[in-house]
Amino acid sequence: MTEALQAMGSVVLDPYLLLLLLATTVLGVVIGVLPGLGATTGAALLLPFTLTMQPVHAIAVLATIYVSATFAGSITAILINTPGTPAAAATTFDGYPLAQRGEAGRALGIAVVSSTVGGIFSIIVLCIAAPMLARVAYEFRPPEYFALTLFGLSMLASISAGGAVRNLIGGIFGVWLATIGSDRATGIERFMFGNYELYEGLAFVPVMIGLFAMSELLVQSKRVNQVIETVTMNAVRLPSKEDYKRIWKTILRSCGIGTFIGILPAEGATVASMIGYSEARRWSKHKEEFGKGSVEGIAGAEAANNAATGGAMVPTMVLGIPGSGTTAIILVGLMVHGLRPGPYLFTEQVDTVYQIFGAMLVANIMFLVLGLYAAKVFARISLVPSAILWPIVFSLSVIGAYALNSSLLDVWIVLIFGVVGFFARRHGFAVAPIAVGLILGEMVETNLQNSLKMFEGKWWLIAMEPLAALFLILAFLGLCGPFLYQKLVKRAP
Amino acid sequence: MRLYIVPAVIALASVLVIWASLQLELSPPMIVGDSMQPRVFPIFLMVTNLVLIAVLTLQIHRTPPAPIALESFPTWASMGLLAVFYGLTTLTDMFIAISVVMFLMCLLWGERRVHVAIATALVPPFAIFLLFDMVLRIRFPRGILMNWYYG
Repeated sequence: MTEALQAMGSVVLDPYLLLLLLATTVLGVVIGVLPGLGATTGAALLLPFTLTMQPVHAIAVLATIYVSATFAGSITAILINTPGTPAAAATTFDGYPLAQRGEAGRALGIAVVSSTVGGIFSIIVLCIAAPMLARVAYEFRPPEYFALTLFGLSMLASISAGGAVRNLIGGIFGVWLATIGSDRATGIERFMFGNYELYEGLAFVPVMIGLFAMSELLVQSKRVNQVIETVTMNAVRLPSKEDYKRIWKTILRSCGIGTFIGILPAEGATVASMIGYSEARRWSKHKEEFGKGSVEGIAGAEAANNAATGGAMVPTMVLGIPGSGTTAIILVGLMVHGLRPGPYLFTEQVDTVYQIFGAMLVANIMFLVLGLYAAKVFARISLVPSAILWPIVFSLSVIGAYALNSSLLDVWIVLIFGVVGFFARRHGFAVAPIAVGLILGEMVETNLQNSLKMFEGKWWLIAMEPLAALFLILAFLGLCGPFLYQKLVKRAP
Repeated sequence: MRLYIVPAVIALASVLVIWASLQLELSPPMIVGDSMQPRVFPIFLMVTNLVLIAVLTLQIHRTPPAPIALESFPTWASMGLLAVFYGLTTLTDMFIAISVVMFLMCLLWGERRVHVAIATALVPPFAIFLLFDMVLRIRFPRGILMNWYYG
């Protein structure tokens, strides 16, 4: 524990890292306020820039982008009724009406404080839960890992966007993409069609940039002539005593909800904020204010979406299973920098892990200050014309993808997956399941192969292992959950 | 009928993958051992996909989704610009292609000030190039500009 605290504290004593975190927090807030960009796209675009950094710095940069952009989505949600990130969609329900009443500063103050509390709470949980979970995960063998990855994939059924079936189809497509290249066990080439640059498989980063950044560019091209309405804003102010009295219970509840939802594989901040908001409404004594500028509504959504960031890092770092689209990119970042996600990270790289957690904590404090003193300036950035912003995103995407392996093939992959992602989204398929499937694909196949070897080809013995059986049951529930829930809702009077 | 185009396309793609999987080499039994042949896993995935597509088709049949409006001109043109980028990169130079595409994208997305479009097309790529070339030591692909730069 002392070692962990020392590692976390070392972040504050490293001036270079502090400066890097400050710059990244500012950048993360800028990314968050620009409608359409968001934490996932931002992290995907920045990943190539972290290549020459030390692993701690690189992952700290990506994690900081994650927490600060998730918070910053609320600035535009409140001021221009456009969530900067999908996770801030629930903030528009009450944030914008409150801003229209001339209380934009108060709305932003509540959002900033709630986000900070949510973020810090989840990092504390992360520091406690991750090593505990890692201790359990030491015992995992191929059957448990296989069942666990199946559970992770099954959770795609309940990911926020798209329907359950569409998400599963997307996830399977992602897993299939992971089979491209040489088969690890036998060396036989699969789906390479004579292109030996694909021997090691599809590189994750170009696929991520294509799916998230390039497809978003094409989606945004629909909104070329969109008119943005803004509200005038006075200085941001901290919530009053009266506000605190009304929101503290909501914040605590949303902290718990957000962290728990974040921990669930493939769930994320968007689902957390929606549930945080609806629970805030359910428990409120002032239900009639919801949708008209309720402070509890803002606090409920904002505390939950930022609490989900720390929660989502738990399965990412301990089990190598991403908890959201952005953590999928952080996971790729860990692998690119030679850090093997999984329980051994907590014995082999303890300092690195806790420095990353420390960096996330510092980032939360930094965006509190930035949010309180500079939200007005950041809000103006959101008015950057799309005609200038998205061509820059284009250049960052293609140059960044090329820089990873100095390969033009990676650039073509960005273009191809940009178009694939666009059409997928157009027809109701979310792109996050494809990304998660791609990351988990190799893990699921390799562990299945190893399990079969272990049990001499008797695949049904996988389900006889107690922990594997538990994960398989959870996977089954994950798959059937959304359908059963729909049935129950239909039957309800 | 148009509602079923998407499931049909995915189903066709799945069948193609199954066919391609069946063309894969077989690994000698002494290497595979008790595990599975490399073709088995992709085939299993695609069969699962076909089952899911059947469920999706049923869902579409029961509750038809709202029709999707045809994309606007800027979207198709932006996609066309990606093809222009591919062509220009292979024929001239990646940075020429980036600048041309950025300039056209600026105008396409509604920027009316030509000097702003030119600045957008030149300044950010140049800045990113400098960063990657000098700080990250990345060597960019050869082309008209890069041949001149690298000599």
